[in-house]
Amino acid sequence: MSDLNTTGVEGTVTIKPAPETPKLPPREWLKENLFSNKFNTLLTLFSAAILLMISRGLLSFIFNPERQWGSTSTNLRLMMTQAYPEEQYIRVWVSVAVIFTLVGASMAIWNAGSRVTLRRLGSFLLSSGVVIDILTLLAPFSGQAKIIWLIIGSAVSGAGGVLLRVSDKDKDISSLTLVVATLAAAILSLWIVPFGHHSFVFERTPRSMAETGTVALTTKLPWTIMVVIGILAYFLGKIVMNRFPSKNLRPTIIGIWFLTPPTLLYLVLRDPDFDMGHVLNTDIPIFLIFAIAGGALLSWFTRPTTGEIGRVCAALVLLAGFGMFFTPMRMIIRILMLLLATFALAAPTFAGDSKTRRRYVLAWLGVSGIITWLVTAVNTPSTIEVPGDFFLGGISLTLLVAIFTIVISFPIGILLALARTSKMPIFRILSTWFIEFVRGIPLITILIFFSIMVPLFLPKGMELSEVSAIVIGYSLFSAAYLAENVRGGLQSVTRGQHEAAEAVGMTTSQKTFFIVLPQALRVSIPPLVGHCIGVFKETSLLAIIGLFDILYIARNVIPNQTEFLGSTRENLLFVSLIYFFFAYQMSKASQRLERRVGLGER
Amino acid sequence: MNENENTETPASDRDLSNAPDMIVCEGVSKWYGDFQALDEVSATIKEQEVVVVLGPSGSGKSTWIRCINRLEHHQEGRIEVDGIELTNDLRNIEKVRSEVGMVFQQFNLFPHLKVLDNVTLAPIWVRKKPKAEAEEQAAALLERVGIPEQADKYPGQLSGGQQQRVAIARALAMEPRIMLFDEPTSALDPEMIKEVLDVMKELALSGMTMMVVTHEVGFAKEVADRIIFMDDGQIVETGTPEIFFSNPTEDRTKLFLSQIL
Repeated sequence: MSDLNTTGVEGTVTIKPAPETPKLPPREWLKENLFSNKFNTLLTLFSAAILLMISRGLLSFIFNPERQWGSTSTNLRLMMTQAYPEEQYIRVWVSVAVIFTLVGASMAIWNAGSRVTLRRLGSFLLSSGVVIDILTLLAPFSGQAKIIWLIIGSAVSGAGGVLLRVSDKDKDISSLTLVVATLAAAILSLWIVPFGHHSFVFERTPRSMAETGTVALTTKLPWTIMVVIGILAYFLGKIVMNRFPSKNLRPTIIGIWFLTPPTLLYLVLRDPDFDMGHVLNTDIPIFLIFAIAGGALLSWFTRPTTGEIGRVCAALVLLAGFGMFFTPMRMIIRILMLLLATFALAAPTFAGDSKTRRRYVLAWLGVSGIITWLVTAVNTPSTIEVPGDFFLGGISLTLLVAIFTIVISFPIGILLALARTSKMPIFRILSTWFIEFVRGIPLITILIFFSIMVPLFLPKGMELSEVSAIVIGYSLFSAAYLAENVRGGLQSVTRGQHEAAEAVGMTTSQKTFFIVLPQALRVSIPPLVGHCIGVFKETSLLAIIGLFDILYIARNVIPNQTEFLGSTRENLLFVSLIYFFFAYQMSKASQRLERRVGLGER
Repeated sequence: MNENENTETPASDRDLSNAPDMIVCEGVSKWYGDFQALDEVSATIKEQEVVVVLGPSGSGKSTWIRCINRLEHHQEGRIEVDGIELTNDLRNIEKVRSEVGMVFQQFNLFPHLKVLDNVTLAPIWVRKKPKAEAEEQAAALLERVGIPEQADKYPGQLSGGQQQRVAIARALAMEPRIMLFDEPTSALDPEMIKEVLDVMKELALSGMTMMVVTHEVGFAKEVADRIIFMDDGQIVETGTPEIFFSNPTEDRTKLFLSQIL
């Protein structure tokens, strides 16, 4: 075999870098791209005119003295958390701090950020300064404001120009530094500018009752702390990564990310009134019985030598799980039994050496523990007293419903897609019917059904808050659509991949889990993210069933306040900006994800 | 390929008449709709034998070889692999598949897994090998096929010849008793064919039972114990390479050889 490395075909090839495309000077660039012939010139001028008209219209809307922007800034808290009590507000800030910590640590551990050359930064500043100046000229400002804004725009342009001139070609700066600088500037402005009072932009007597500086006063210290916490978490993450490099670091952080929403909701924000006696006497013993007995059972199922008897017993557990689910008894027992049945069903797929088996049992312990805790938490009443049906509202309700729906509908959707493409007719037919049925119903119908009807149909001993019922209904709805996206991905996996997996002796479930699903999900990232964005935006339908989501607050609550009568348009514009911010972040995240998983492909 | 002829005994000189049967096919027939792909194919392949299947395209070579690990289902006749008959019984199929390695024309590596994981996945989850052991074995196999340094790359980063060698290593990792090759070099650029054929030659000399569908006449002449020529889903002629290439009996064989030689 020694003579195998014969030819030079596989030797390391030195790649000659492609010659740099010469950068055109601005004048020629304009000529080539915008005014290359008569027709293009016409198109350019036409588009520019439209752009100018839209900008002018938007600016004169925003800076019209009639606008009541005070209605937005004064009601920021209402839009964020609705009626969450003032004296408990520290809980909200703790939640935000937890999220900032996680974001900081994750950025460190995933090596977020890229290098931005100073020249790029310079040309960005230069062009944004020019844009500011142009917009200022268009805006209906009074003389003084116009001059101030022109100076600001020119200063930004000038800074960009200086950067372009002075800096070397290769000098660069981390994009994270830029983000931190932007955040710092925003927070500094909270300390300097009294937001919550809007007359500083143009001169007029404020018609509103907004106190000067309310927003800035209540949030400047907390936001400063949040950003500092985020930065500290980033450096902590870097230190941990360098000192204790471990393969388990990223999975751990991902796990924490998944645990964070329920923890924040049920432990921090909701302030549950746990009945410790009940928890100690019932919930924990039930969990322990399931953990120990189930763990032993699963450890036996995953032993490679167990063989046929194990599969039969696993099937029996599955039957028992379904049988018990429809028998009236404590909800926690039914759910844990169903979960155990699922784990038993998958056990032959993950049979292996002792390490693999231990990991499988640990997964069971972890998941069953979390489920026990969640079910207990859902059934524990909240101590936060608010008027209305639910203790949260505004953007936090929107995010809450969106996050829970997306996370819950993912596994359901994947299972539905697998069932619909399965060879087993019962699964295929049931799944197809479910998907087609749900897709044929408007979301509003489902939301109304789950909020009004489902609580009536529930068996005795089972309680479901309205929001939980809605999240379940919305998840089923979302899962049906998600399943179709995943099915597209499943179909894109070539026959050759199936055959290769079969040829090395994999069982159908091993083939699905190790070969088909990873590739199918990778292909479906763009439609899946599009779906997530849709789920996020359609939470605005919650308003119809009487929940105070952010759109409802902006449309119906604020414009009815005596100080801000009729301020609908301002708040709608603001809310659309908020929606855009989150949707755009999701879109960005999806692009990053696509790049990351595209690694193996040429 | 010339340097091998002087130093090693041609495989076809071995006496395999006493070796046990590895693959037995009796009257295997298969239809795709109305089209008959296989027509009463009968053949026996001995342990350690290297059989090359030749024939024009559409003659049923690939269909036959794919029936042997049941990627295709034959409709009539029987196939027995190492004493296990291929039926619809799932357990038999899984058992046969873990004993029969297969290499495809299009490589079919798993693009989302690194080369090392491509090789270790089946041993860990099908053979239930401890991970460390599987990785050790995979490293040795990658060394054997001549690409130990590519273990941490993704298949998409390798050349076609390297990918096909990874595919061979992946099949070998299951420690199969039989290897099936379905046109392993047809999708390769000419300069990469040799590196794959060299690996297959080494495998044949090590005593592996092999069935190879290929158009590489040089490989067939040098390595095969027996040539099976197929046309229209039937076995037309079988024989040792010397007789088959120099003195074929059937007209169809002569026509085929005159076209490819």
